[in-house]
Amino acid sequence: MKQIISLTKRNVKLFFKDKSLFFVSLITPMILLVLYVTFLGNVYKDSLLANLNGLVLSDKVVGGFVGAQLCSSILSVSCVTVAFCSNMLMVQDKASGALADLTVSPVKREKLGIAYFLATELTTLIVAGFALVASFVFLAIQGWFLSFTDVLLLILDVLLLTTFGTLLSSIVNSFLSTQGQISAVGTMVSSGYGFISGAYMPLSQFGEGLRKVLGFFPGTYGTSLLRNHAMRGVFSEMQEQGMPAQLVEEVKTAFDCNLYFFENKVELWVTFAVILGTVAVLFAVYLLIMKSQNAKRGK
Amino acid sequence: MKNIIEIKNLKKSFGEIRAVDDLTFSVREGELFAFLGENGAGKSTTISIFCGQLQKDGGQVWIDGENLDENLNVIKSKLGVVFQNSVLDKQLTVYENLEHRASLYGIFGEEFKKRMDELNGLLELDELLNRPLGKLSGGQRRRIDIARALIHEPKILVLDEPTTGLDPQTRKSVWEVIEKLRKEKGLTVFLTTHYMEEAAEADYIVILDRGKICAEGTPLALKNAYVKDFIILYNVSEEQAKKLERPYLPLRDGYKIEVESVCVATKLILSYPEIFVDYEIMKGKMDDVFLSVTGKTLEGGKV
Repeated sequence: MKQIISLTKRNVKLFFKDKSLFFVSLITPMILLVLYVTFLGNVYKDSLLANLNGLVLSDKVVGGFVGAQLCSSILSVSCVTVAFCSNMLMVQDKASGALADLTVSPVKREKLGIAYFLATELTTLIVAGFALVASFVFLAIQGWFLSFTDVLLLILDVLLLTTFGTLLSSIVNSFLSTQGQISAVGTMVSSGYGFISGAYMPLSQFGEGLRKVLGFFPGTYGTSLLRNHAMRGVFSEMQEQGMPAQLVEEVKTAFDCNLYFFENKVELWVTFAVILGTVAVLFAVYLLIMKSQNAKRGK
Repeated sequence: MKNIIEIKNLKKSFGEIRAVDDLTFSVREGELFAFLGENGAGKSTTISIFCGQLQKDGGQVWIDGENLDENLNVIKSKLGVVFQNSVLDKQLTVYENLEHRASLYGIFGEEFKKRMDELNGLLELDELLNRPLGKLSGGQRRRIDIARALIHEPKILVLDEPTTGLDPQTRKSVWEVIEKLRKEKGLTVFLTTHYMEEAAEADYIVILDRGKICAEGTPLALKNAYVKDFIILYNVSEEQAKKLERPYLPLRDGYKIEVESVCVATKLILSYPEIFVDYEIMKGKMDDVFLSVTGKTLEGGKV
């Protein structure tokens, strides 16, 4: 156990001391922030107000709505892109020869794998944790409608999505071994994940075909889960302020709080189950990969 | 002295290429053993196999009496490896690097501190400990690499081309450290190198070519077996050089006379004492041995 703790400490330190790795991991959340500040925030605000049919909502609830949209998006992408960047250390160690230096010692390969996993989970949780605290501060300024349960559920979502991101990156990265591959995958994930998870734009804005395809991608369910928990209070307040329930449902659908798998509405507990199930499947796949790579080792 | 490394009929192929082709050799405890060969000769493959990085296709390996197939982890704890390039973490301090690497061998807390004190005395690391590895010079980094290899007190220090790319002064200081370790700790050193002058200092040399051993022995035995000796005669005329009836080469201030052995040289000196006033007898160089054995020259041999 002491060996795993020491190796995990090494990996965490390397992530935070390697400025390029750390900043690359923050590119996607930064892009999102810039997009929201420059135009997306106004687009969402305008599209919400345009559908109110003369109903007047308080500035606080509108601010809370846009803020919750932004925060859920940032949290959704951070949990995965930070995990991918942090877990790149696993590949860097192979490319630089550090892995050979680790494995000339009698330490078991499984311990190295566990240490990479734990370090990625920890670093992602630290970064996502900061993002979560910043989100709460931002929402408190824009319009706070979160209950204590919502806060707890958001923390749980971040934990789940971080584990999802860590496992997904562990699986993808275990097939990489060069600096070129690191750059390629890092760029693809940083630029693409925000789109396919519905963090940059709600899936409802995409074409039907693409929406159906993305319905198979678990990341979209993660974004939806965060949106639901971040915006539940906002929607309640909207109804309190006289917004018809049907209109609230339409807004929920437009902003991915209501997800549809083909034509069927996905209930919130199913969304949760999809993420949980995906985490379980990814964990099993990762174990199998570790086992098969250990068997192939050195051949 | 007992054999600390024994390798018998070792084989390893990558597809059609036989990287290691039926190697058999042994290394005695406490000696400086040099593995000489050009790139692709099979040196690193052999090291990778006995360090447990690569699986062999055939043959047997024993390190300090332990069979590689049965006790790989025991063997790993007996080996300290210095790789060709520094592979420690450049962002971390020297102390952090050594602390994390020590944990791989189950060395923690007080035991680690004690070990650090010993290494400090041996390698003079004090001033470097709190500096990030990436900020150190090439020679300083090499010292840290050696400290990392010794962190668990191995019986064998494996040096995979440890001075490649270093300037002559740094190479000299690295070798001073290695010599100090051999003297004070009695370590067995397994060296692969391109540099003939380094190989010439070894107790025993194995020359590899295309995965096979093409010559082995002490430097003296190899020189005697594969190259001729020379007498450099100073301040003599060409007539006098011709008189010796040996092949000769004119030099700026004398002649280089080729002889089969020192014994032949002695006979010449005794036969022509009037010519041998100012002279020196030289053994052939390791470069010539390598050229004679493999038909190739090594890049390092020119240095």
